[in-house]
Amino acid sequence: MNLQLTLAARYLAGRKLRTALTTLAIIFGVTLIFGMNTVLPTMLAALQANVQGAEGETDFTITNVAGDSFPADVTGHLQNIDGVRAVAASLERTINLPADFVDQDPARADRVIAVNLVGVIPEEARSIRAYPIIDGRYLNDADTAAAVISQTLADAFSVTVGDSIHLPSISGLTELTVVGILPASIGPENESVLVNLPQAQKMTGDIGKVNVIRLNVEAFADKDRRTEIQSRIETALGKNYKVGTLITGDEMFATMEIAQIALSVFGTLALFMGGFIIFNTFRTVVTERRRDIGMLRALGATRRTILGAILTEGFLQGLLGSAIGLLIGYLMAFGVLKVMQGPISAFINIKLGLPVVEPGLVLISILLGVTVTVLAGLLPAWNASRVTPLEALRPTVAEAEFKRQTGVGFWIGIVIMVLTVLAILSGQSALILPGGILFLVGLVLVAPGLVRPFASLFGRAVAFVTIRQGIGGLAQSNLTRQPSRVAVTASTSLLGLAVIVAAGGIVTSMKGTLLDMVHDSFGSDYIYLPPSVGLWSGNVGATPELAENLRSVPGVETVSTLRFTSSQTVNGQVVSVLGIQPDEFQQVSGLIFTEGNRSAYEDIVSERALIANSVFMIGTGLNAGDMVELSTPDGQVQYRIVAVASDLLNAKINTIYISQSNLQADFGSTEDVFIQIDLQDGADREAAGAQIKALGADYPQFKVISGVDYYNTIQAQFQAAFSAVYVLFAILAFPSLIAMLNTLTISVIERTREIGMIRAVGGTRKQIRNMVMAEALLLAAIGAVFGILGGMYLGYVLVTAIEVVFPMGYSFPVSGIVAAIVIGLLFGAVAAIIPARQAARLEVVQALRYE
Amino acid sequence: MSIITTQNLTKIFGSGTTAVTALDHVNLSVNTGEFVAIMGPSGCGKSTLLHLIGGLDRPSNGKVIIEGTSIAEMDDDRLTELRRRRIGFVFQFFNLIPVLNAVENAALPVTLDGVKPAEAQKKAAEWLTRFGLSDRLASRPDQLSGGQQQRVAIARALAAEPSLILADEPTGNLDTRSGDEIASLMRDVAKKYGRTVIMVTHDPRVAAYADRIIFLKDGKVIDETILERKNTSNADVVSRKIKEIGD
Repeated sequence: MNLQLTLAARYLAGRKLRTALTTLAIIFGVTLIFGMNTVLPTMLAALQANVQGAEGETDFTITNVAGDSFPADVTGHLQNIDGVRAVAASLERTINLPADFVDQDPARADRVIAVNLVGVIPEEARSIRAYPIIDGRYLNDADTAAAVISQTLADAFSVTVGDSIHLPSISGLTELTVVGILPASIGPENESVLVNLPQAQKMTGDIGKVNVIRLNVEAFADKDRRTEIQSRIETALGKNYKVGTLITGDEMFATMEIAQIALSVFGTLALFMGGFIIFNTFRTVVTERRRDIGMLRALGATRRTILGAILTEGFLQGLLGSAIGLLIGYLMAFGVLKVMQGPISAFINIKLGLPVVEPGLVLISILLGVTVTVLAGLLPAWNASRVTPLEALRPTVAEAEFKRQTGVGFWIGIVIMVLTVLAILSGQSALILPGGILFLVGLVLVAPGLVRPFASLFGRAVAFVTIRQGIGGLAQSNLTRQPSRVAVTASTSLLGLAVIVAAGGIVTSMKGTLLDMVHDSFGSDYIYLPPSVGLWSGNVGATPELAENLRSVPGVETVSTLRFTSSQTVNGQVVSVLGIQPDEFQQVSGLIFTEGNRSAYEDIVSERALIANSVFMIGTGLNAGDMVELSTPDGQVQYRIVAVASDLLNAKINTIYISQSNLQADFGSTEDVFIQIDLQDGADREAAGAQIKALGADYPQFKVISGVDYYNTIQAQFQAAFSAVYVLFAILAFPSLIAMLNTLTISVIERTREIGMIRAVGGTRKQIRNMVMAEALLLAAIGAVFGILGGMYLGYVLVTAIEVVFPMGYSFPVSGIVAAIVIGLLFGAVAAIIPARQAARLEVVQALRYE
Repeated sequence: MSIITTQNLTKIFGSGTTAVTALDHVNLSVNTGEFVAIMGPSGCGKSTLLHLIGGLDRPSNGKVIIEGTSIAEMDDDRLTELRRRRIGFVFQFFNLIPVLNAVENAALPVTLDGVKPAEAQKKAAEWLTRFGLSDRLASRPDQLSGGQQQRVAIARALAAEPSLILADEPTGNLDTRSGDEIASLMRDVAKKYGRTVIMVTHDPRVAAYADRIIFLKDGKVIDETILERKNTSNADVVSRKIKEIGD
């Protein structure tokens, strides 16, 4: 064995705690890179499936060319096709119901004249779409004459869970027991009755057969991949089958691209954090060993030997750390998937399974682990080779840096940060994402210069709290003796916490925007829903009398109606014209303004003015304030565009909003097509609800649904989808804990003699412990401040980037910031436990002798 | 009157076949205001004796009695308090905290006792001024010479106004001139400021400043010499003694 290898091996074996800490850093870096990359695709796939399932979207629908039913075992050919994630076969038949079958009342118009009988294999169906049961339970394989129906149908039949409904079948009326209720559906299709496949086969006579297969492909398959999978399916099925593709257009692909970018951003951040920790440790290793190195130099070791010895050490540690990191990374991925399985399967039937280990990823992880370690060790090793033989003769005392920290790096950092802020102001979307990363780099460069002012700021607070213990000032001084080490540690926490804050920002913004829209559109207590929402023209409305009757129901506070007509602009664009009563509309619903504000509601009453949605603005190329000519039954009229705003219902259709009085005057329309009802606070909700539903019985064109229930269902779905994201981000915060533990332990080891002295001159164990703890909290506070700054910027940047494809506003991530502060300080305190104990337990005499 | 008495003080490091007896039934007493030097060859147990007297370490056997109280029964917190209020330490390598300036370093034991920093530093500044460092109060250790650093360390030892000062090779890391200055200062501490000083050294010139020299070898007290003042040949007397004992 050559000298370098011997030295490296002996140092590694001799300084066990130090070796353990450095290795821990490498392990963590590798764990993160490997674990995250192993688990993320699976998690994101689950997330996508989740969202897809909630929306009930399927990638491919397979039917027989002739429209006939076909043997159920066809699915067997599909499951094993590469790229297919989930397959579910069902037997779906429309069952026409005789007149007055449901309500048994000849005097009333029938609301339900047909139902869609859907026979499914319960768990298979749940792998394709989500069935958010609001009452009772979902189907299971043992069920025979059991059915799951929607709230709307249950209302029509006047049944609840446990009651029976009867449906016509080939063998006469079949009795089905309602075991579960789904939220009211808002689509135009027939109400579905969900039963087990054998039950449906028995009722329709199609024994052993199905007529639709729905199929979802792997997450994030791009267009080419989809085409490829589709052709494989077609080959497997032969000519008798037709493969229909459902939407999943460009919007979906854009979302996927964002997910993939996010993936690589997080990978890079993880790598950075690992590198920082390793760099820090190596730097201290070298500082601590100056005397040894000086001695080696004095004995005749060349600079190359020293450089080689340190790098060899880095290489050995990198290898060891990577190996352990791979193992732990796998275990972490395994654990995360196991933990997430619970909440996810409550929602949709997906087996997360085992983490996928790709040989390429293993290789890359090892390579990265070793390379990062050696690279992080390079600068310290270089410094080590510059140590003069004279160092051997100096007494070992803990080093302290007193030089100014506002060097070139600081100013480069400032410049980078200014440039990135300018980039974001420029609104160039191509610059936004790189800008976010660069901003963090800038912050890391600026950090050392800020450590001292920040430490003295927070130090005052700590000193105030610990004034009686006489160690507050010491903690602060100790922290600032190595500003660059603290800065590196703080930077690690910075990146970790920045991710939390940024994620908080995105999630809050996304959820906020979506839920706001849902809330504004469906947030009223009750809704009279026409068959087609958005595409209003096919709907039969109601005369104003219905709204009047609803207003007179006891307990009703507000009734807001939408009236509809269709018009054309001069350049031939067809546009939905919606009439609103601004006062009532604002109380139960609302538009999200992108230009102009709520004062527009007054303008549309006081003049011929309109609020247009962005689709209309893009389509016509007009600007707010412009006049637009609309065709009416009596010729052309001029309207002024006072604002641009949208709601969820009409987000994708050319739509303008005018007052109902203008709608009546210019277009002669008075039919209500959509009615929202809000109850008074403290009203007898049950009685009012029953009466509202009863009034609806005379208007079968409307479904009456409880908007609050609907909103709650949607909210629960969002919660389920986003909880997975939070877990991921929390994992990313973890390196900051390791970094702080590392830095604190190093600074305790390094100051062993000083601690011994403090004990000798009368410092108690408690004072020593508090000193380390105070230092940890200071360190954490600095990291948190940096992290929050970086995170807010990163979050804003990401929201802006996402806005390009998904309309959302930036919400201030209060929850993210609170989480970052709590996590930061908590991690600081946790990280201090071991070093503080260690410091307090030092034997005075040994500590004084420590070199 | 004796401020310190040791009774059969014994310290054994390790156990079984590797056991080393560092101190072997040491009995000595030091009077208030006395300046005692402890000498002996390397590994004779000088530092161990000092550590046991200062309560930094616990004896394997025997007792240390400080001002009539045996410290063996004290728990760690009481021992720490004793060190903080009654004993001052001076080390060979000064052991100043690099991030604190002279006056902050000197004030440390007082600050640790819960006194407000400003007040503690006032006291420390007085001592530094007495030791000729009035213009270096705000200097950091790396801006001071070795002799100056040691004077700061002595000021630190005195800041809490203890009655006993323990010094472990205080001149071991200094050149001859600074060493003489510090040795003379240690004598001042005893004679001018009325503290009891126990100093470990292996330098006869330094030991010559003491009132009494105790010679240790293999953990045992083997000789004692009381030095006469105004005798310029004290150092020679000490050197001869050491030759006799065999260093």
